Amino acid sequence: MGDAALPRSCTIRIGVGGLSIFFANDRVIIFLVRLCTLLLFSTTLHGSGQSTTSDRNTQAEVHANNGLDLAQSGNLSAAELELRKAVELAPTNPAFLSDLGTVLGMEKKLEESTNTFQRALKLDSNNSTVRRYLAANLWQLHQYVEAKKNLEILVRQDSADKPALLLLGMVSENMKDYASAARILATVPALVREQPESIAALARSYYHLGNREKARATLEQLQTHPAGPKGVFLGAEIADGMQDYATAEKLLISIKTTFPDRSTLGYSLASVEYHARQFDDSRQTLLDLISSGYQSSKIYRLLGWCYQEQHQPAQAAQAFEQAIALEPTQESNYADLSKILIANRSLPAALAVAKRTAQAFPHSAGAFLLQGLVELKVGQFTDAVESYTHAFQLDSANPDASLGLAEAQFAAGMSKDATQTFEASTKQFPRDARFKLQYALILLKAAETGNATAEAHAEELLKSALIINHSLPEVHYHLGNLALKNGRTTEALTYLETAAKLDPRIPETHFALARVYRRLGRKEAASREMEIYQNLQKVESEAKSPNMPDGVSPN
Amino acid sequence: MVSLQTDRLMKSKWFYRSCQPLLLLTAVMISLTFSMPGSTDSSTKNEIFTDITPQAGINWQHFGGESADRFLIETMGGGAAFLDFDGDGLQDIFLVNGGETPHGKSTTAIRNALYRNLGNGKFENVAAEAGVDRLPFYGMGVAVGDYDNDGFPDLFITGFPASALYHNNGNGTFTEVTERAGVKNGGKWAAGAAWFDYDGDGLLDLVVTNYVQFSFDTPKRCEVNGTRTYCEQKAYQGMPLTLYHNNGNGTFTDVSAQSGFDKLSGRALGVVAIDANDDGWTDLLIARDASPNLLLINRGKGKFEDVALEAEVAYDPGGLAKAGMGVDAADVNGDGLPDFIVTNFNDQYDSLFFGSHSVPFEDRTVNSRLAEYSKSYVGWGTHFMDYDNDGNQDLVIVNGHINQVIEMTRSDVKYKEPPLLLRNNGKGVFQNMREQAGVAFNSNYSARGLAVGDFDNDGDLDVVFTCLNATPVLLRNNVGQDHPWIGFELQGTKSNRDAIGAKITVSLANRKLVRWITGGGSYLASHDKRVIVGLGGDSGATVAIVEIRWPSGTVQRLSNLRPNQYHDVVEPAAANATGRRK
Repeated sequence: MGDAALPRSCTIRIGVGGLSIFFANDRVIIFLVRLCTLLLFSTTLHGSGQSTTSDRNTQAEVHANNGLDLAQSGNLSAAELELRKAVELAPTNPAFLSDLGTVLGMEKKLEESTNTFQRALKLDSNNSTVRRYLAANLWQLHQYVEAKKNLEILVRQDSADKPALLLLGMVSENMKDYASAARILATVPALVREQPESIAALARSYYHLGNREKARATLEQLQTHPAGPKGVFLGAEIADGMQDYATAEKLLISIKTTFPDRSTLGYSLASVEYHARQFDDSRQTLLDLISSGYQSSKIYRLLGWCYQEQHQPAQAAQAFEQAIALEPTQESNYADLSKILIANRSLPAALAVAKRTAQAFPHSAGAFLLQGLVELKVGQFTDAVESYTHAFQLDSANPDASLGLAEAQFAAGMSKDATQTFEASTKQFPRDARFKLQYALILLKAAETGNATAEAHAEELLKSALIINHSLPEVHYHLGNLALKNGRTTEALTYLETAAKLDPRIPETHFALARVYRRLGRKEAASREMEIYQNLQKVESEAKSPNMPDGVSPN
Repeated sequence: MVSLQTDRLMKSKWFYRSCQPLLLLTAVMISLTFSMPGSTDSSTKNEIFTDITPQAGINWQHFGGESADRFLIETMGGGAAFLDFDGDGLQDIFLVNGGETPHGKSTTAIRNALYRNLGNGKFENVAAEAGVDRLPFYGMGVAVGDYDNDGFPDLFITGFPASALYHNNGNGTFTEVTERAGVKNGGKWAAGAAWFDYDGDGLLDLVVTNYVQFSFDTPKRCEVNGTRTYCEQKAYQGMPLTLYHNNGNGTFTDVSAQSGFDKLSGRALGVVAIDANDDGWTDLLIARDASPNLLLINRGKGKFEDVALEAEVAYDPGGLAKAGMGVDAADVNGDGLPDFIVTNFNDQYDSLFFGSHSVPFEDRTVNSRLAEYSKSYVGWGTHFMDYDNDGNQDLVIVNGHINQVIEMTRSDVKYKEPPLLLRNNGKGVFQNMREQAGVAFNSNYSARGLAVGDFDNDGDLDVVFTCLNATPVLLRNNVGQDHPWIGFELQGTKSNRDAIGAKITVSLANRKLVRWITGGGSYLASHDKRVIVGLGGDSGATVAIVEIRWPSGTVQRLSNLRPNQYHDVVEPAAANATGRRK
């Protein structure tokens, strides 16, 4: 059987609007409707040629026709019922299945719609229409592998199947196969141009391939696209996401007067400016929004981050408090406020906010993780144990809870408990190198107080952490220090130089390198490393305590 | 009371030979006097040290000025010293009091104590009569030294915002001579101090460790769980060292700039003066609190070079400048070179470094088991002392946290902590003697300054340590006489009279025991200047050879010295010398 699509069903599809989708915005719905339309126009329309001789088939036909009429009139639920009856009476009729699948798709019952199309294809595997609808469904369901398989069948059957090529290009982009995406979408430029979404997909692919110029040129098309400001807005989002802030800003400014939602546009512009580290501009954009009467939690939150970047901690805190006041149920507002207070070394204030968060969100593991973190920083180790325990109880699958608990236990002097927690966690999270590293650190401490096997175990853990992730500077540092301690100077040098290369900002690495170079008689190198170490120490201590306000934690 | 004239007679060499039987009788009488209720029952007989503070009549209390402001100075004092201030041959005890703070007031006058040793295990506080009871500033530590070589130990008392020098008049009294001497160290918070002769002119010079920039006008506020507490030391900026040159006429010149000491800024606390590289010049190891330690090698002509980095004693292996408070030096592993201890904060471990002719020094903190024993303690005063006279330098450390709230945040660290008595196996590996050490080593204190001396002249070293806002603790050594010993009291002639900087080598059949007369050492404290060398099992009838290298460079050899007694040794004239300073 060739492509099979009922003329009446095609009509319905054109008239009603085709497949529904799970995407959040209307633009994509419209896109799919049109895609569907194209799919239909490219299909050879002919009758199903299936006439039933039995009463059942006749009845099925009646129900099917009723269903199509109802669908055309917009009564999808009634249409569904009729088409179900048709399928029930003639379960091996692929056309009825296809029609039912279509209506289900329009009702956003994508999973069932997909199953129905798959049943239809089993009965009529050459039906390219059904296959197209199926592929479109699968794409909406993010089942890209299956979608791709079906689209490739279509393209093999007809290499000029432009709609299939368009969808295949977009699926490739979703699967991060940017080279294929760019290549395929470039074969259907007219179709790509018709939809902002496909323009966006092509632009993203070019960005990922490092071809910024082509990406920008692609996004430029949106400025004259019939989709208007909303299409341009989409393009700006793409550019921002791909860190092409200049293009993003240019696109947003171009629709400043035409985009219908000033608040959304203003916020997006401020975000782009923030991402581009133009904190002053971003702050001004947000303040303009606020003074124009647009106040929202996310505006104040971004404003808070602007102030933070501009080293205005009091204003930053104030902005975050405003965000909290406007949206007290948004946990991330509290979390961000805590983060900036920690960054500004206002630890008692950070602790107060963390406690507020935990009180406001008593079932949130994240809130207790935050509280535990701050308690660790202020040296309230036993309290930190309690907080992390609570976080762990709320979400035992969260590695941060296990890790924080073990660290807090160790800091509180509960070494045995810490060891037990680490032992359990390294088994639960075998691919998380952080556990191996932190466990190794407490074993190294234990080795300092007479535990002979602890050092060997620590070294083992550190080496296994490196197997998981070879780019952990701290692991290289500790292995280097161990080697130095045991007189393996050359080995120490290798590890420590790697650590310094991976992260030159860790002062201890340079201190250890100075020791190694001294042992090797390389005095100048040793002096240079000591100088770097002392400079980094100075920067660290200045960053920590300009005026030593509240919150200097005692030993 | 024995007159001072008789005291001088008793100290002379001929007196020992002719009056030994009388001495023996006296010793018996003294030991019988110590047989007081509670001190000879079976429990104290078996303990290494016995706390005899109440029996000794010591009831002085330290006052730190503790207040809601939580000024850091409230938690850092006080000092202690053993000295024979009246020349009667018995070690007396000087204790430095703290002071009031803006909201930490005392209902009684705050006074230092000068406990005169009465010779019968009892002491009497004569600070007022001696003229050393009151200070015009907040007191910290004490350094005892005979700066004018008149045979009577003088006192330099450190504090904030000034320090003071008291000249011993030789008649049981002192005169405050700070301004005239030019050693006020005004405006600074001075912690430790040490007398040492840095230029080899036979006069004791003075190094002062200054801690942090501090003012009662600007309290810093820190809290734990809403409870006000002391801020960590890093909240305060460090200060440079002060070095005073003794001009020989009762005055001193501040040579901090010429020597480069004024560039060495950091939070300095403990200091010990010893010849670290055996070149005949006295060097300095300075413990600094969250600042890198200093190892100042004396290059002569008033110049010093800091080699702490090369020696790897400045930081820990991780690059951390530990919270160094107390410091001491002695030969711990029997190689004839000084080794060093620095006391630190909990979780940092007290550090032990083996000295060496080459750098770096070996960090023995872990292998000596010191890390294991000191892990949960904040260490302050410390001194190497051969408590059992087996010839190996053991170690005593006193501890105590600074924050009362620590037990709110940690389950393994306490506010009050026990002292540590660590026995050396001769190779620098220690054993915690807690179980045998005595009740004091199983009790908890907020201990600070620690001084060591033989107050009962029985040839073993006793201990006194101060406690914040409490009475000090005087510990009598019960076991030193298990092994023979030999004692030296040196008197310099060309060298400074105290012989600070002298190196004594006692050669036995199978080993050599090296001791130094150091300046400073411990924390805020000063020690008995006599040297006791435990002979272990190797007493022989006499000690074969003793070599003394005087600070002047003169090398003197003595032989056939009898054990179990002190020997007064006077520096010979140049013609009798056999060596020179390098």
